[in-house]
Amino acid sequence: MVGGSLFIKLVKQLLPLKWKKQLEETGDIGRFTIRFFREFWRRPYEFREVVRQCFLLGYKSFPLVGITTFIIGLVLTIQSRPTLERFGAEAWLPAMVGISIIREIGPVLTALICAGKIGSSIGAELGSMKVTEQLDAMEVSGTNPFKYIVVTRIIATTFMLPVLVVTGDAIALYGSYLGVNIGDTVSFKLFYQQVFESLEYADALPAFVKSFFFGFAIGLVGCYKGYHSQKGTEGVGRSANSAVVVSSLLIFIIDLIAVQIADFLGIT
Amino acid sequence: MESVLEIKNLNKSFGSNHVLRNFSLTLYKGENIVVLGRSGSGKSVMIKCAVGLMKYDSGSIKVLGQEIKDLNAVELDALRVKMGFVFQSSALYDSMTVGENLEFPLRRNRPDLRKSEMDDIIKETLDNVGLYYAINLLPSELSGGMKKRVGLARALVLKPEIVFYDEPTTGLDPFTSSEISKLMLEMQNKYNTSSITISHDMYCARITGNRLVALIDGTNYAEGTFEELQNSEDEKIKTFFTHGLGKRK
Ligand SMILES: Nc1ncnc2c1ncn2[C@@H]1O[C@H](COP(=O)(O)OP(=O)(O)OP(=O)(O)O)[C@@H](O)[C@H]1O
Ligand SMILES: [Mg+2]
Repeated sequence: MVGGSLFIKLVKQLLPLKWKKQLEETGDIGRFTIRFFREFWRRPYEFREVVRQCFLLGYKSFPLVGITTFIIGLVLTIQSRPTLERFGAEAWLPAMVGISIIREIGPVLTALICAGKIGSSIGAELGSMKVTEQLDAMEVSGTNPFKYIVVTRIIATTFMLPVLVVTGDAIALYGSYLGVNIGDTVSFKLFYQQVFESLEYADALPAFVKSFFFGFAIGLVGCYKGYHSQKGTEGVGRSANSAVVVSSLLIFIIDLIAVQIADFLGIT
Repeated sequence: MESVLEIKNLNKSFGSNHVLRNFSLTLYKGENIVVLGRSGSGKSVMIKCAVGLMKYDSGSIKVLGQEIKDLNAVELDALRVKMGFVFQSSALYDSMTVGENLEFPLRRNRPDLRKSEMDDIIKETLDNVGLYYAINLLPSELSGGMKKRVGLARALVLKPEIVFYDEPTTGLDPFTSSEISKLMLEMQNKYNTSSITISHDMYCARITGNRLVALIDGTNYAEGTFEELQNSEDEKIKTFFTHGLGKRK
């Protein structure tokens, strides 16, 4: 125990200041996460607020997610066609695009869009509540702001992101269907048949599961950054900004870890 | 007399910045204490410790007989319902209208009330501060003085026993601030509260304060009635009056 703390002290001495801050922040986020899970189980469950946040954060992101995934589905299809044609494999177009959308592009693109839209709005909202003492005001009027503000938002993003991903996937596939139809005519039914015949359970499941983690990361980072906002309006801007940067980065890291785990479990 | 708030030897520091040093103060039932002190002397820190928003390093704070430090989250929340807090910055919830700002604490703490009963309480409280007409406005649509009055109304909506006012008149024009001071006095009599007011405003201190406390160097440097402190020979205390009163009236 003593040796351990000595070691930590030594490391602290040797590390450059910037790294020290980074490590401290990682520790803080860890504590924040633990606090989330502790408060998650405690009453009151704030069900109404969770539903309201699902609407505000999730439902209102549908248009943006819809437009971007539609365009990506369409563009991806158009751009893949020449390559496949060179190998005489145009017939594989729906299958190939379908797999890339479901496995990777759908979840990651949706998560990144949401990191931008939801992450920044949570960061800015909580940040301004923090610096204008609204969180304190809530606390003195007998409402735990961590429970009422933070926990509800993290739950909302965690459960809304998979919903957004599934919808985004469907819209991207529709975009892809239109893309296929530019070159030749395929009926809607045939297109979907081709996509789903090539898809396996193992393609969809890891993608679906990792969406929950993406959503959790977006909510957590947005709330953490806002909740620990520095004084002043500049601090609010910085919270919103770093909420987007950190959660986008986390999405890629989670993606990387998810693919390793899926590989390890043999779900490929 | 029965005391409702007892602070004894309170210490609080931020790193090497030792803000409060053995600060003590007792608030009796029905009394209003005005705390004077220079900017940055730790007045806000002191009342934030009293409502449990900040943890203190050592000493004791007893609110209505309960030691703040020993309470768990649930007990603290229960106690907080009996305390009102008017923030220096008003701290209104800016996504909610004026009415919803008042409804929030009611809805959260008084689940026994019906919607119509809540509406009655909200109407009555807003009427008291003269802002019933603004019930559907958002905080961004209010002037500074109106915000302070809504802050006051929100702190009173649960009919607390103790109210903390953090600079309720700072940043307002003399006319509005004297109006707010009168309003505070009126509310104190009407709701029968005990209170601690932080203020630099000598008019406010004179009309609302039964007793004044000078917070200097982190301690309770001097206390007494307005006249007692005004006639003090101490240089540090004189400055409050020469600088404060000179500007008003
Ligand atoms: N959260 C905090 N972290 C670090 N230092 C703080 C914090 N809050 C207050 N302080 C410090 O404590 C001291 C007292 O601050 P406080 O806000 O109580 O002053 P004040 O007496 O209310 O002044 P004012 O009249 O300007 O409101 C200041 O030096 C301030 O820098
Ligand atoms: Mg202050």
